[in-house]
Amino acid sequence: MGRLLKDIFSFEDRPRFERIGFLIFILIVLVFPWIIKSAYGRAVMIKFLLFALFGLGWNLIGGYGGQVDLGQAKNVGFGAYATGLMMLWWNVPFWVTVPVGMIIAAAESFGVAYPMFRLKGHYFAIATLCVALVWKELFVFWDWTGGARGVEIPIRPTPNFTYMQFGSPIYYHYFIFFLFMTQLLFMNWFRKSKLGYECQAVRDNEDVAASLGINVYRTKVIAYTITGGLGGVGGSFMTVYYLYIDPDFVMPLDLSILIAMTVMVGGAGSIWGPVIGAALLIPLDMYLGAWLGAQKRLGIDFMIYAVIMMFIAAREPKGIWGIIERMRKKRA
Amino acid sequence: MELTTQLIIYGVLMGLVFALIALGLSLIFGVMNIVNFAHGEFLMVGMYIAYLLSTFLHLDPLLSLPIAAMAGYLLGIMSYHLLIHQILRGPMVAQLFGTFGLMLFLRYLAMYIFTPDVRSIKQGLLVGKTLSLGWVTLDLSKSVSAALCMISFGIVYWMIYKTKLGRALRATSIDSEAAQYMGIDTKKMNALAWGIGGATVSLAGSLLAHFYYVTPTVGMLFTLIAFAIVALGGFGSISGAFVAGIIIGLIMVISGHFLSELKFTFVYIVYFLVVVFRPRGLFGW
Amino acid sequence: MRLLEVKHLFKEFGGVVANSDISLEVEEGMTMGLIGPNGAGKTTLFNCIAGYYRPTRGKILFDGKDITGWPSHQVARIGIARTFQGMKTLPNMTVEENVMVGAFCRTKNREVARGEAQEIMELLNLREKAQSLPTELPIAIQRRIELARALATKPKLLMLDEIAAGLNPLEIKEILQTIKRIKEERRLTLFLIEHVMEFIMTISETVIVMAAGRKIAEGPPEKVAREPKVIEAYLGEKYAKG
Repeated sequence: MGRLLKDIFSFEDRPRFERIGFLIFILIVLVFPWIIKSAYGRAVMIKFLLFALFGLGWNLIGGYGGQVDLGQAKNVGFGAYATGLMMLWWNVPFWVTVPVGMIIAAAESFGVAYPMFRLKGHYFAIATLCVALVWKELFVFWDWTGGARGVEIPIRPTPNFTYMQFGSPIYYHYFIFFLFMTQLLFMNWFRKSKLGYECQAVRDNEDVAASLGINVYRTKVIAYTITGGLGGVGGSFMTVYYLYIDPDFVMPLDLSILIAMTVMVGGAGSIWGPVIGAALLIPLDMYLGAWLGAQKRLGIDFMIYAVIMMFIAAREPKGIWGIIERMRKKRA
Repeated sequence: MELTTQLIIYGVLMGLVFALIALGLSLIFGVMNIVNFAHGEFLMVGMYIAYLLSTFLHLDPLLSLPIAAMAGYLLGIMSYHLLIHQILRGPMVAQLFGTFGLMLFLRYLAMYIFTPDVRSIKQGLLVGKTLSLGWVTLDLSKSVSAALCMISFGIVYWMIYKTKLGRALRATSIDSEAAQYMGIDTKKMNALAWGIGGATVSLAGSLLAHFYYVTPTVGMLFTLIAFAIVALGGFGSISGAFVAGIIIGLIMVISGHFLSELKFTFVYIVYFLVVVFRPRGLFGW
Repeated sequence: MRLLEVKHLFKEFGGVVANSDISLEVEEGMTMGLIGPNGAGKTTLFNCIAGYYRPTRGKILFDGKDITGWPSHQVARIGIARTFQGMKTLPNMTVEENVMVGAFCRTKNREVARGEAQEIMELLNLREKAQSLPTELPIAIQRRIELARALATKPKLLMLDEIAAGLNPLEIKEILQTIKRIKEERRLTLFLIEHVMEFIMTISETVIVMAAGRKIAEGPPEKVAREPKVIEAYLGEKYAKG
């Protein structure tokens, strides 16, 4: 038990500058809503934490496991719809819907992982994309999901913690930060766990991994299943934060790509990568996008994304964290 | 009965267009084992060229064929030299994201230039006309486009299988290293594959624009259709792509008639089932 | 006691016979060498034993258990470790992590795995390199990493596929010493493929010679080296190489 807690909370094995940086980061996020009063600034912060949360989960399969999954949005959708529909139909408290959403997302991931991991590389990536698109089209097609109209969550007269509805964004800020921290600590445990080592070995060389007693297929299926479950959490948050969901909003291909991209840009397979990637891309998206939108220059922000993406792919496959690590090595 | 005939004919016609769209993807995959996520965006370029010619220059969109092919060729070659060549040696993830980046770039460049509005060609020799074959009446633009796609497919097929250049291309596709020893400039062959891929898909786009709407985001759908076709026909197989194109065309038109909201779903499911259970395609064993 | 036994093993790839009727026995504690010209089917045989290929026909017994057709990770868990031809490290994990992955084969506990890894790194002189990435290190050290990683799975049988390839004479001598030492300390049985003749001849008690997918000779090294069939097989190779 003590060891488990230590594995979850301890960053002792990381170099000092990382721990200091992490501490500063926590402090900034904690005081943020007391310094920044603008609604837009706070919204940017919340979206950053949301995408950092998404990235942390995706990093498990995409970064540590090395399997390019382009369908994480389906899991976000499962979480969002589980929360939305259960609240709408049966008034189920938010905190009950979250695990249900996670279980649904994980179960679906487990189900499709079994056939899907007969594939490798590009074939696997495209298959994940297809599965996610099929789900999205089904959610549009079905009536019980609200179809293309989506699901609207009834607004409650008094803010409360059971349904996680609040008048002020400050609550959502700490709420998403809490979810983010739980997932970060989970990933901190994961990277030190046997499964974490096994995933990385599978990523680096499947033949070698098997020669060391690792069941490659099983490892991938487990990693993909956990990633699915983690994706659901952010989806549940989106439902209570935006109070409205539809398939185009919570499960589009663009969301899957953006999630994968934040991790790639930040640095796949490192604990801080997703946070760095989201810290760069989300404000860029929200500020640049808003500014360009005001100038009626639609699309330039995504073109900038695209250039960053191509540059990272061609020059820095290890992302920004890779650059930082290299610089540190040079200095040492 | 008439409905069945019509559905089958339309399915085959769509399939012929799809086959030309998928040809380039299959060729590129065969030669350098890389998938191009921007493939549908190359198609979109051809579509916009036809649209521009028809709407702003008031020329017949059919005249856009050579222009679209040329533009697609240049785009393919440029993409290869500026991007693909750089990511070819990188890890698979980098390759995926590289072409993904290219896709986003082209898509949002189109968004910037043309806005997200849905556009369609209103004037042209073929547009809106019908062709009566006695027992069925067909859309003229679809029929002629399909015929032209089939001819283009035939020309490329002939080029690959009957010319010296084609032989070099195939040698590179079978074993790049061995081809290099035989004195083939494989880098040039890679670029050529991208050129041909771009030209054919862009050409298909300018024909598709005759009867399909154009938006900046139209590409992804066709990329996925092309993936499904290439998977079904066997990755890298040219003749496989032809047959698989027609099969996918039939699946889409027939399922689309009965369950129009889910017609793409069927295509994705086909892809999924094929790669999982028949990873070498319908014809490869 | 017989540790490994291969009975009439055949392996075909779409009609091409890579291994034809191979039978052999490896006694516990011995060092068995496997030599033969290029394309003789040595690595194919290793891959069959280690579960990377499923034999077309024949049986493989380990410790009295029939392990024919077992997947490679189960073969590893029952006590057969292997290294690979060419360089196969885990490039994005540090040396210590490389070895720890091996140690995780026998434990769930990270501290136990780390302790085991450190002990083995000590044994193989990898201690100072623990935090480096394998790709930054010279070949000779990468080979030791592979060796350490395989050892960490606590095998009974260690199969080494051309561990000395590409090393200079001094490095070969070094790795030879290392292998002898770990064999003693860990009470291993060794089965090795090697191209470097003086290496295999000094370390092996028995040598098996393969050519064109078949076993053509078996016996003590100095005796096998004089057999006409063996000389012919090797001369043929030299001749072909021109």
